[in-house]
Amino acid sequence: MASFTITPVEKGILRCQHTGPMTHEDVRSLAGFLHDYRGKLLVDLSGTSGEECARNLQQFRPLMPTTAIFGGEINPIILEIPESYYTHEVRYFNKEEEAMNWLRNQ
Amino acid sequence: MENKVVLDTFVKETGGYVASQLEACTRCGICAEACHFYEATGNPEFSPVWKIELLKRAYEQRFTLSGKIKLALGIDKKITEEDILHFSKIVYEACTMCNKCSMVCPMGIQLGPLIHEVRAGLSNAGVVPADLMAAVNKQVEEGSPLGVTDDVFENRMEWVADEWEVDLPMDVKGADTLVVFSSIEIMKFPENIAAIAKILNKAGEKWTLSKKAREVVNFGFYEGSLERTKMFLQRVFDGAMDLGVKKIVVTECGHAYDAMRWTSYNIMDVPKGIEITHIVGLMGEYVRSGKIKLKEGAFNDGIVTFHDACKIQRRGGHIKEPREILNILAPKTFKEMSPNKEESVCCGGGGGVIAIKEADPIRYAAFELKIDQMKKVGAEMVVMSCSNCRLQFTDCVQHFNLDVKVAGLSQMVADSLVE
Repeated sequence: MASFTITPVEKGILRCQHTGPMTHEDVRSLAGFLHDYRGKLLVDLSGTSGEECARNLQQFRPLMPTTAIFGGEINPIILEIPESYYTHEVRYFNKEEEAMNWLRNQ
Repeated sequence: MENKVVLDTFVKETGGYVASQLEACTRCGICAEACHFYEATGNPEFSPVWKIELLKRAYEQRFTLSGKIKLALGIDKKITEEDILHFSKIVYEACTMCNKCSMVCPMGIQLGPLIHEVRAGLSNAGVVPADLMAAVNKQVEEGSPLGVTDDVFENRMEWVADEWEVDLPMDVKGADTLVVFSSIEIMKFPENIAAIAKILNKAGEKWTLSKKAREVVNFGFYEGSLERTKMFLQRVFDGAMDLGVKKIVVTECGHAYDAMRWTSYNIMDVPKGIEITHIVGLMGEYVRSGKIKLKEGAFNDGIVTFHDACKIQRRGGHIKEPREILNILAPKTFKEMSPNKEESVCCGGGGGVIAIKEADPIRYAAFELKIDQMKKVGAEMVVMSCSNCRLQFTDCVQHFNLDVKVAGLSQMVADSLVE
């Protein structure tokens, strides 16, 4: 079973739900997904501990589209990268509702 | 003050070569039709001949009798600071330095290098678009325009090695080949790193990465600054010298390849005995020699087309290799866009343009020419060998909501290796 699932939330927004430790194959397929995906992303970390996915979140950060993250305790510092022409905004929220409100307005 | 610095730069740089180029122009306008920004917008100020107008006026007013008379009689006007600011927008935002204009000029005028000369004057005067200059300054201060510091580089390489399960040799003294990635590959396309490593390892190449020469992109070259172009090149050459390599392989970055492969030899002492090549050339060599074998027809599922990068294909001449590779990978579905090869239309994102937010409207306008080309062949996948082009395609595919997959050639090769 994959360690993440991708499901539609509403038009232009997909939910990426983290459900467990990521294998190498999962990381590679998620990288492929992020390259091909053209909408906004809601990352739901409620199925995992923040620690477990911190390294991957940090490394995936430059590849992310406009993204709202919620559901797991992470240090927001891992999402900080220098603003640049290739980057999109990524923010962390405590609650799903807040995350969705922000995402809808982007 | 700005105009004085610009003019002084032109005077300093305007030797017999530049003078002969300027005198040879017959104002036929053929270069305009070769420029994607002119073709996309119809704006006459985007024609290449107009982009060198500042240099031409400065030359005429300082060095020719007719120019001096025109100035004295008020037929021509002195170059003002407003002119300088206006031309800064034109030569940085509406020129990717693709050099197609030089190729079509019946007088053989090298318009691209002349436009680069205009950028050099503007750079010396400090009239460079803020977004582009911010990236240049970041590369000066941190060694990377995109924030690839020592720590970021090490962490990124460790992650790629772990997750893609590839060996990424680092700082190996005595290796034959130094591989230098662009910062956009490191940050945005990390799978390119894994793909290229997989190919090199399969071919049995004795290669290494270098922490010192950790990236090859050269924002000083975009800017037109001789000093900073040399500074960034020197970092790569220093890394190569430390490790004693015989070859430097530039990965999927066109402008960096131009800077290393040709410009460096004209502006600085390049270490002797080091061959500089591009990953596309190397992959072609591997396929021809049988060092790597590819699964025939691995991408035969949908129409695949190839976008020729200005600096790698038109200038670099690596035209046959990608086609040889694609004819193996997609023998039934590979279709050429038209025009192609040397005559290909630029994607509109090179030369630093994609880094300038204010240039977005004309960058997107220029890309519409590529959309037409892709639609005519029914492309479902567009492949390229330059990550800057790839970023432009990725961004524009999203902007225009196109149903086209964007891919790097190295990644396709890596995915199709016969074990």
